[in-house]
Amino acid sequence: MKNSVMPQILGKLFIYIVMIFTIAVSTFPILWIMMSSFKTNKEILGNPFSLPQTISLQPYIDVFQNYNFLIYFKNSIWIAGLATLVGLFIYSLAGYIFGKFDFRGKNFIYALCTITLLVPGHAKAQPIFSIIMKLGLYDTKTGLILVYSSFGLALALFILRATFMTIPKDLDEAALIDGASFWRTFWNINLPLAKSGIATAGILMFLGSWNEYFYALILTTSSMNRTLPVALQFFDEAFSYNYTNMFAAITMVVLPGIIIYLIVQEQVQASVASTGVKG
Amino acid sequence: MNKKWSTKLWIAIFLAPTILMFLMFNLTPIVTVFVTGFTEWNGFSSPKFNGLDNYINLVSYDDTFLISLRNLFLWSAIAATLHVGFGVLVAFILYKRPFGWRVVRGTFMIPNVISVAAWAIIYKFIFNDDIGVINNFMRDIGFSDFHVKWFYESPAAFIAITLTWLFYAVIVTLIVLNELMAIPKEVHEAALLDGANGWQVTRYINLPLVKGAIGTGVILSITARIAMFEEVALTSRGGPGNDTYNIPLMLYNGIVNSEYGYANSAATVMIIIGVLVMIVVSRLFKMNEKIY
Repeated sequence: MKNSVMPQILGKLFIYIVMIFTIAVSTFPILWIMMSSFKTNKEILGNPFSLPQTISLQPYIDVFQNYNFLIYFKNSIWIAGLATLVGLFIYSLAGYIFGKFDFRGKNFIYALCTITLLVPGHAKAQPIFSIIMKLGLYDTKTGLILVYSSFGLALALFILRATFMTIPKDLDEAALIDGASFWRTFWNINLPLAKSGIATAGILMFLGSWNEYFYALILTTSSMNRTLPVALQFFDEAFSYNYTNMFAAITMVVLPGIIIYLIVQEQVQASVASTGVKG
Repeated sequence: MNKKWSTKLWIAIFLAPTILMFLMFNLTPIVTVFVTGFTEWNGFSSPKFNGLDNYINLVSYDDTFLISLRNLFLWSAIAATLHVGFGVLVAFILYKRPFGWRVVRGTFMIPNVISVAAWAIIYKFIFNDDIGVINNFMRDIGFSDFHVKWFYESPAAFIAITLTWLFYAVIVTLIVLNELMAIPKEVHEAALLDGANGWQVTRYINLPLVKGAIGTGVILSITARIAMFEEVALTSRGGPGNDTYNIPLMLYNGIVNSEYGYANSAATVMIIIGVLVMIVVSRLFKMNEKIY
């Protein structure tokens, strides 16, 4: 009896050590940054583990007012939001076709579109930089919106095709008999039923664009068009000694993504599990 | 216009924007990368064919590229073993649904939904000598001279960069967990009837059945190392010297310095390594065979 109980207890212990460790490494860095954003520089330098003496939102107000973070925040929302909407619209159109219609070359085109997921995004940097230059969209929000909406292509198509495939074709036929046009059949009947897939694709595209750094760095230069991740780097270079404000700025960049994720975690986890991509 | 033709026209209209996006931002760039990797090109004049010069320059101009390859190899090896191993371990633990498993699954994802740039900067502060938690902790527990300048000395910089991603294997965990949950109950019942114990079920049934998912995890983890930019650019910047350099950093410098042909030869290497990794890993894990 004794011999079979000990390994079981050790097994349970090991399981909980791994679980607690997983939670700790995933949350500690962010919690530490958030906590420190409420401490003064002196407190941070004195002891990095101590709790803040007082809770004040002053660092956040400073970051917004004195360091233009309001502009960067707006830019990030505008660029990620619009890129997501544009992408969702055009990939819904294509996903509808790939999911419900048959035509010659369909599988080839679909395979070609999704296989690009395998090319590391950074590898296309120079040609995309040149294309954006040629279009006269260098250092514009429009340029970033265009590039970001293109990044969602493979993933959104993958999710949306699967969604439209589950919507019964009988509905389309009934609508056609009632005299609905091709467009109305898509917009009024299919699109509302594809809500969950659209939401999932939208969340992943938004998070991907909100967090993107590399292309924002090479495609923009003026502070007017800067997004939050790039702003963070400039802030770090210029004011790295101002820990309180730095930590407040980091918190502002990471918090929206975490909040969105916590609201819709089931969808995000399910789509990561099936596609292996996080947007 | 008859019905059939009108449907075909609608199909074309619905596909057009996506195909345009695909041509503009996927196919054209990829072809351009491959072709101009063999040219001298600064972006102003037109590209001049120069054969393998860029590739020869990559390996012979200085040792940056070779060091980048060495780092990629080491990081990939760590990713395929420790990183994926940790992700698989967590997946197998969560599969048993211990108390709190959903909380672990939920929080493990958080580092993956925030900006990698922000994450890299957070880690720069974690390893900071004055205010960072690592060095202060070491000094607090008695190593009063502990002043490792993590991102600025060798080999600490390599280790610190590795630690920014080493444990964050949630994608591996989710893929493997998904596959574990898809194993039909009958398989386990049959094994238990035959007298297998819990460990034997895990080792001889579950592990082989999720081999494909683990293979996918290995591919994704190595691909992430091939494209790793923020974790290096925002911390050590490839230093000290070029000790932690990698290919994305070379690519970025090539673009900034208008050496487009050179940049694209580095990009080509990136793409080819990615494809090779995919082929080799799928073979190793026999990923195309359906087991049950």
